[in-house]
Amino acid sequence: MRRRARLLAAAAALVATTAWGQPGEGLEIFTRPDKGNCVACHEVPAGSGPAIRATVGPRLDGARLKTWDRARLRALLVDPMIANPDTVMPPYGRHRLLAPQEIERLIDYLHALP
Amino acid sequence: MRFPDRLFLAGLLATIGLPLQALAGAESVREDIVSRLRERFPAVSPAEFAHGAAAFDPGRRAMAEERTPAPGAAEALEAGRRIWTRKFANGRSLAGCFPNGGRRVAAAYPQYDRRLKRLVSLETAVNQCLKTHGQPLLDAGDPETMGVVLAYLRSLSDGRKVAVRVNTPQAEERFEEGRRLYYTRMGQRNYACASCHLRHAGDYYRGAAIPAPVGAAAQWPHLRDGRAITLQMRIRECLERMGAAPFPAGSDDLAHLEFFLAYLSNGLAIRANAWRPPLVPGDL
Repeated sequence: MRRRARLLAAAAALVATTAWGQPGEGLEIFTRPDKGNCVACHEVPAGSGPAIRATVGPRLDGARLKTWDRARLRALLVDPMIANPDTVMPPYGRHRLLAPQEIERLIDYLHALP
Repeated sequence: MRFPDRLFLAGLLATIGLPLQALAGAESVREDIVSRLRERFPAVSPAEFAHGAAAFDPGRRAMAEERTPAPGAAEALEAGRRIWTRKFANGRSLAGCFPNGGRRVAAAYPQYDRRLKRLVSLETAVNQCLKTHGQPLLDAGDPETMGVVLAYLRSLSDGRKVAVRVNTPQAEERFEEGRRLYYTRMGQRNYACASCHLRHAGDYYRGAAIPAPVGAAAQWPHLRDGRAITLQMRIRECLERMGAAPFPAGSDDLAHLEFFLAYLSNGLAIRANAWRPPLVPGDL
């Protein structure tokens, strides 16, 4: 019985991790060169990510991103060329740079920016 | 006027008219790009663009000046000179394949060869010489061989102004192909060369200023960690980091891109073996 409870608890933890991600996962996706590498083009508020000079894209902060709901941000990350054919932002979803779950974690990170 | 005469006249006009039209094409593209950069960066002269990222970043400029000559430059030049002057079994050498032993020749490359009907870059010219004399060819993607040979050969033209000619319809076609490639989105990240180097020249990408296309063909090879990196090697690195399959080393595609960039650098002084910093992960 106790063994079954432990198994259930472990399974629940695994589901929670898969569904909601680990803390910092969004930041990792934002930063990693082989993932989003968003930090190459966008600066974020101090303390929210690496302090790297990046001026290709606009600076990202809470005030800017809270006006974007999840669906709009998701559509932008999947294929920004739909909204702006001239953009230099990579089509993270369309070109499979990021998996759908990774895009969700990135949205979490962006929405949590101060 | 009889029919054959009319045909002759039409042919003559076409022969005279096409190169003029062709010249106007390449030159108008160059003027447009130069004027756009001048508008955005009125304080930066075209000659300064040749310094790459350092043209926009005083800190990087100071680092480059402190590292002049670049660490490893003497070794690269000596390694290149040895290959350049080494006698083949028939007593000839690479130096013997070029006028004046290669002095003052680099400024005119790449150039369209009417006989071969293709662009000849310095890489192609070196390997043509080796082939003619039955020698193994150099890998155009290898800093230790082709890189050092071109480090030496280009150093023989230091200070001379880039003078690439687009003066025939065939040369114009190659220039246009280079321009087309430069503006074509490629790879997983979906960038074109122009996305960053033209639209965002001077902006910062992962901490480094993005070099402008004008001047990109004046200062090469670069010395990075003592390794001689040619313009074509650098383009291949950039493509790989964009998530694109790089054009093969020594390919016509790379020669077309180089031809386009070299024409944009016309009039700027050649400087071989300038220092550049190591690439960091995530940079292009």
